[in-house]
Amino acid sequence: MVLQRFLNPSVLAEISGLELVAKTVVDGFIAGLHKSPDFGFSQEFAEYRMYTPGDDLRHVDWNVYGRTDRIYLKRFRGETNTLLTLLLDASASMAFTSHQITKLDYARYLTASLAYLAHQQRDAGGLIVFDDDIRNYIRPSSRQGQLHRILHAIEHAEPGARTDFAKPFIHFQQFLFRRGIVVVVSDFYEQPKKVMETIEPLRFRGNEVVLFHVLDPEEVRPKLKGPALLVDMETEDAMEVSPDYVNHEYREKIDQHIEGLRDESNKAGVDYFLVTTDRPLDAALREYLTVRQGRM
Amino acid sequence: MGLFAPWFLAGLAALGLPVWIHLLRQHKQTPKFFSSLMFFERRTQSSVKHRRLKHYLLLCLRLAVLFLLALLFANPFIERTAPAASSRKLVLIAVDHSFSMRYGEHLEQAKQQAIDIVSKLGSGDRAEVVALGSRVDLLTQPSNDRNALKAAVRSITPSDATSSYAEFARYLRALPRSTHMQVEGHLFSDMQKSSLPSSFSDLRLDDQTSLTLHSVAEPREPNWAVETVSSPPRIYGTRKARIQATVASYGAPAARRYVTLALNGRTVETKPVDIPENGRAQVTFNDIDAPYGFSRGEVRIDGNDLLSDDDRFYFSMERTDPARALFIHDARQTPEYFRSALEAASDAAFALDVVPVAQAAGVSLSRYAFVVASGIGPGLGALENSLTSYVRKGGGLFVALGPASLAAGRVPVTGDRVSESRYAAPEGDRYRNVAQTDRSYPPLAQTGPLEAVKFYQTLRVDTGDARVAARLNDGSPLLYEKRVGEGRVVVLTSTLDNISNDFPLHASFVPFVEGIARYLEGGEARSNVATVGSYIELRTAKDQAVAAEVIGPDGQRALDLKQAASAPIYQVDRAGFYDVRPANGRRQLVAVNIDRRESDLTQIPEETLALWRGGSLRPNPSPAAGNHGPELYPLWKYLLIALFAVSVAESVVANRFTLASREAPPPAARSELPVEAEREKATVGGVR
Repeated sequence: MVLQRFLNPSVLAEISGLELVAKTVVDGFIAGLHKSPDFGFSQEFAEYRMYTPGDDLRHVDWNVYGRTDRIYLKRFRGETNTLLTLLLDASASMAFTSHQITKLDYARYLTASLAYLAHQQRDAGGLIVFDDDIRNYIRPSSRQGQLHRILHAIEHAEPGARTDFAKPFIHFQQFLFRRGIVVVVSDFYEQPKKVMETIEPLRFRGNEVVLFHVLDPEEVRPKLKGPALLVDMETEDAMEVSPDYVNHEYREKIDQHIEGLRDESNKAGVDYFLVTTDRPLDAALREYLTVRQGRM
Repeated sequence: MGLFAPWFLAGLAALGLPVWIHLLRQHKQTPKFFSSLMFFERRTQSSVKHRRLKHYLLLCLRLAVLFLLALLFANPFIERTAPAASSRKLVLIAVDHSFSMRYGEHLEQAKQQAIDIVSKLGSGDRAEVVALGSRVDLLTQPSNDRNALKAAVRSITPSDATSSYAEFARYLRALPRSTHMQVEGHLFSDMQKSSLPSSFSDLRLDDQTSLTLHSVAEPREPNWAVETVSSPPRIYGTRKARIQATVASYGAPAARRYVTLALNGRTVETKPVDIPENGRAQVTFNDIDAPYGFSRGEVRIDGNDLLSDDDRFYFSMERTDPARALFIHDARQTPEYFRSALEAASDAAFALDVVPVAQAAGVSLSRYAFVVASGIGPGLGALENSLTSYVRKGGGLFVALGPASLAAGRVPVTGDRVSESRYAAPEGDRYRNVAQTDRSYPPLAQTGPLEAVKFYQTLRVDTGDARVAARLNDGSPLLYEKRVGEGRVVVLTSTLDNISNDFPLHASFVPFVEGIARYLEGGEARSNVATVGSYIELRTAKDQAVAAEVIGPDGQRALDLKQAASAPIYQVDRAGFYDVRPANGRRQLVAVNIDRRESDLTQIPEETLALWRGGSLRPNPSPAAGNHGPELYPLWKYLLIALFAVSVAESVVANRFTLASREAPPPAARSELPVEAEREKATVGGVR
């Protein structure tokens, strides 16, 4: 089943109690900047949610508490709903693996889990699959069946051509009509500055950007016993490398790259999270969402 | 350096194979797909250099393996000279203790001279003592302990053996190779000419050996001996024996001697004999009566020559009742010809019982020396079982095939198939003759010519692996033998009745019958005379479980338990009487005498001795340091070790190289790229 394939119950169980809440939406709510297009200035009540420690007490419905001695939070439609756009890198390099699961599969699981989370929160979710151009676009929506559409598109995301952030992000900006959360799931084989150059415009338009940097353990700490002929999966270029270089200089460079991405992300106010494919997804997501909640 | 088999160097052509593999053939590597080469840089120098180094190392090792292999087969050698003469040498003290050394004080003189040589040994010299008889008996290991060496010499006792200088020379040749020392040989002997081998080359010595011959004999040493005694091994019934003795003189003047015959220690008769100078004379003792059973006989001459032990000759004789033989015949076969021939044979050793086949089943066969089955046909039943059992236990069966045998379709006991009855053709001579005769077959040894015998009818038999002793002119077997258990079956493919052939009318028939009778009775195999050093047969069948026994001249058992149970032969080493009970139960009394070659004390001519010593005419040239010529030393052992070491190294390096070249398979979505090891396709890491 498409729905179940990328939704690992163990992963979902771990993250079901967490929320992916847009900071901007929260801020907007507090500031009263956003209006519901359907109800004018009034805030339409959507539902109650059980209070959990850490929730904002301003949303507690004290009347319900007085009646029931139970603490519930009010949730409102409209401004509480955020727009989640998932950008899934399906370039050729994402097909790499040194064990059973490729980076692309891992990214699929990650993307599907986030889409599911958004669906649970009644947020509008969308998907863009890209390599050197946009390969598939699911317009963000909270309509019925949206999750299935997203998961279907995730299912059909196959490794494509080379990675080029510039072209798809330029095209992507045309599809953005509302502020929300933009999650980019990629292996980011590009110079950090160039990545930020393409992503920063999204920030300037009020979107919250999250970068999930997915790497295989072999890419972070490759092991070579002897000289090997390596072939680039995107360019098909071949190069003979020595174990000595792999064990020393390569590691320095990849660490520098990761650090560079993290720094640039911090500078740009972009969330950056490195995850390797040998790490259980539920643990990785939980960690990220918990940290994120803490920052909020 | 040289090569014993240089043509194997052609194998060096195989060296081209690893050269082609490593250098000429393009190498293909399995590429490893990686997500991005963004952070990699070309390291051509170290990686390729590193791989080339392993390539060349592997290439060299493989070339070395092939080279060593080709060289190993070519079997190289080097010439090296024997070690330079040193003061260390091995002195071989050989004392002849054969029978002839009993003459006078020869042995004592030899021992004394040997002790004198031991006393003169240098401080660094090592010596060993051997006793020479029919073989070389090592008495000490190489040693410089003079007391031990002297004690060994003193322990030498006279033996009854003959001496063999060929054995001594063979031992002398082997010593330098085994000890890697120069050898100085000293032989103390009477230099008896009869001890020389038939081929003088058997006495050769090598360059690292010197030989000094110490003769203890005088040029002329007269000796008389009883050379031989001829007596019947068995006498039957009341017959008396005729015993003939030959007396010889060796280097002795003409003389009259008195020859005495004794039986069982009792003097029977004494006769004078005139023996010519260096000649022989015969003495005959007639009508000698011996008691029933085995008798121990001795013929001796009087006289006081210095070698008295050859003045007597032992012999044994057995008085026994005539052996009984059984003749089983078909009604149409007459036993008369066979009976007459048997009775006409010398010594009347056999008495023939005749039984028709119909009455033969109840006869106990065990008391018969052999059985004749003449023309018997089918339906033997219990009789054949009895015959088979009798033969298996050691009995002898003579089968003459007749017309009834054709009806049986097979030969009794052996089961050989009788395929047809063959008549001589009506045209031509109407009979067949004997065309091939094996005169080494004992029954035919004294038979005389058989070619004149006419065979009108014979039976064709599938003899299988039997020994065929005679064939007719059409190639069909006439006489053959098969062993069954401990016994034997001799088959004549024709009758004994003067009908199918005229054999009984020929003079050869009587000796043929006698030969068959004695052969089947087993008497020929039992010899009652032997010489010291010869062998007595104890058993024939491998799985014979019956123990044998030998009582020596001293009255003691000569076999231990294991030998008694399994030894097939026994070597006699002393003169005297041996009471032998072989596994087949037929007791023998064997008289063992000294080999009479030892009685002839004629010495080896001096020229021959000089040739043996090494060509010098000086009586006793000083021991030479040896003329050390080049020695061809093969190197195959070292090559084999080197080949093994290089092979192991090649395996290790090749294994490591293979592991390094083995990489993970590419992703399933992408196919293998046929990427050659071409450095031009590489890109230096950069931004895409």
